[in-house]
Amino acid sequence: MTDWGWVAFAYTLVYGTLIGYVTSLVMRTRRANGEATRR
Amino acid sequence: MIHHVLVLVRSELRNERRSGEVATVVIPFGAVAVLIIPMAVGIDRPLLSQIGPGLFWAIVLLFGIVVTQRQSGAAERPQHDLLTLLGVDPAARFAATAIASFVLLVAFEVAIGAITMVLYDPVVIGWGWLAVVLPMVAAGLAMIGTIAASVTSGLGGRGALAPLLVAPIAIPLLLGAAQATEGLRVGAGILRWVLVLAVVDVLLALTGVLTARPLEES
Amino acid sequence: MKRTIEVAAVGSVLIACVAGLAVPPDSVQGDLQRIMYVHVPSAWLAYLAFGITLIGSVGYLVTDKLRWDRLAGSSAEVGVVFTGLALATGSIWGKPVWGVWWTWDARLVLTAAMFFVYLAYLALRRSVDGAERRAQRSAIFGIVAALQIPVVHFSVIWWRGLHQPPTILRPDNPQIDPPLLFALLLAVFAFTLVYVALLNRRIDLAVAEDLLTDAPRADEHVAGAAVTAPQLGDWR
Repeated sequence: MTDWGWVAFAYTLVYGTLIGYVTSLVMRTRRANGEATRR
Repeated sequence: MIHHVLVLVRSELRNERRSGEVATVVIPFGAVAVLIIPMAVGIDRPLLSQIGPGLFWAIVLLFGIVVTQRQSGAAERPQHDLLTLLGVDPAARFAATAIASFVLLVAFEVAIGAITMVLYDPVVIGWGWLAVVLPMVAAGLAMIGTIAASVTSGLGGRGALAPLLVAPIAIPLLLGAAQATEGLRVGAGILRWVLVLAVVDVLLALTGVLTARPLEES
Repeated sequence: MKRTIEVAAVGSVLIACVAGLAVPPDSVQGDLQRIMYVHVPSAWLAYLAFGITLIGSVGYLVTDKLRWDRLAGSSAEVGVVFTGLALATGSIWGKPVWGVWWTWDARLVLTAAMFFVYLAYLALRRSVDGAERRAQRSAIFGIVAALQIPVVHFSVIWWRGLHQPPTILRPDNPQIDPPLLFALLLAVFAFTLVYVALLNRRIDLAVAEDLLTDAPRADEHVAGAAVTAPQLGDWR
């Protein structure tokens, strides 16, 4: 793999994980708020 | 308070003698580990002789955690509630459980050590210093195990949670013991590793005693 | 305020990303140096988040207010993400540079140990029911663990003392050129904003979840036993 390939791998992993984590936080919060209003 | 501690230690050790968990379960479990490792890495004598001491310490640590989570420990619910009702100082309870675990761990170390000597035939130099290192490791593991047992007490399916809590924190114990053993073998200075063990032990004793009452209340 | 931080975080990350890709390659490591622009900030945040968890733990034990525990728990979850990323990017950097996915470099070992402490802490939090009980036990474990970390630090460094990799090929080369240093610092700043934004969101989630389980909030005045009647199974 070329150097840029490794760099792309690292950047995709990092930013992908951060975006994924934010998404999961948003979804979990929505779920918790949704359940709370239902009670 | 010293009186409480002594009475509790004696009672815990008596409980352990009755249940026999360490002698009939944990020591055999550790021994099995010592036995099966060569089946995995090969029975090359020089290799086993070389890895023997390090492996001994790893097994003491990982399997020793089980000793500290034993059923006869005072962190278990019935004993815990009774002692609370009797107004025993939580710090005394921590000290007693830790001391009892310490005694059992030393016995564990001796048993596993003997088996390791037989099966791996390691070169061991500096028995004097090892006689100091062994109890220091046992003390540290006993204390961190006791704290972990209290923190996880009453939780259903405790299983591997307490060992998970103990393992990363016990790294300095492992490094100190293994490096000291290796240092003795090659004639290098081991004072810094004994210092590491001492610092771990002192820190754990302080935190164990200071957190005993807050833990009590949770 | 939170919205501002989030916008600033996204903005600065974009700028840092562009900077990281636009600066000239390192004279020794070449383009692989660019991995440092995500690795170093991740590692920095791993340690910062850990410190915040410790502060939250102490704060809870001292004040008995749940908001400190929410801070500790949230920082731990965000921290474990960054620690994992630090380890992964360290490995990805190490493979082409050193030829192996893992070396027993002191810093890597320490980060791995911290990762496991985080995992243990989060596992403990997940197993305890009841906000106060969870807060109490997590805080105590957090402090016990944090006190041992310096000892872990020194023992690992002493252990690896003789086996450092060659200076030039170390992850953070001290002889770094100014534009590269700027890109690095920019990345650290951007990631710190990301951490704060994530932390805020995670704390909001913790508040929402606590409301869900009807635990009284730290700033709520409880009307009496009728409001917080003990739940079944709460005798412990």
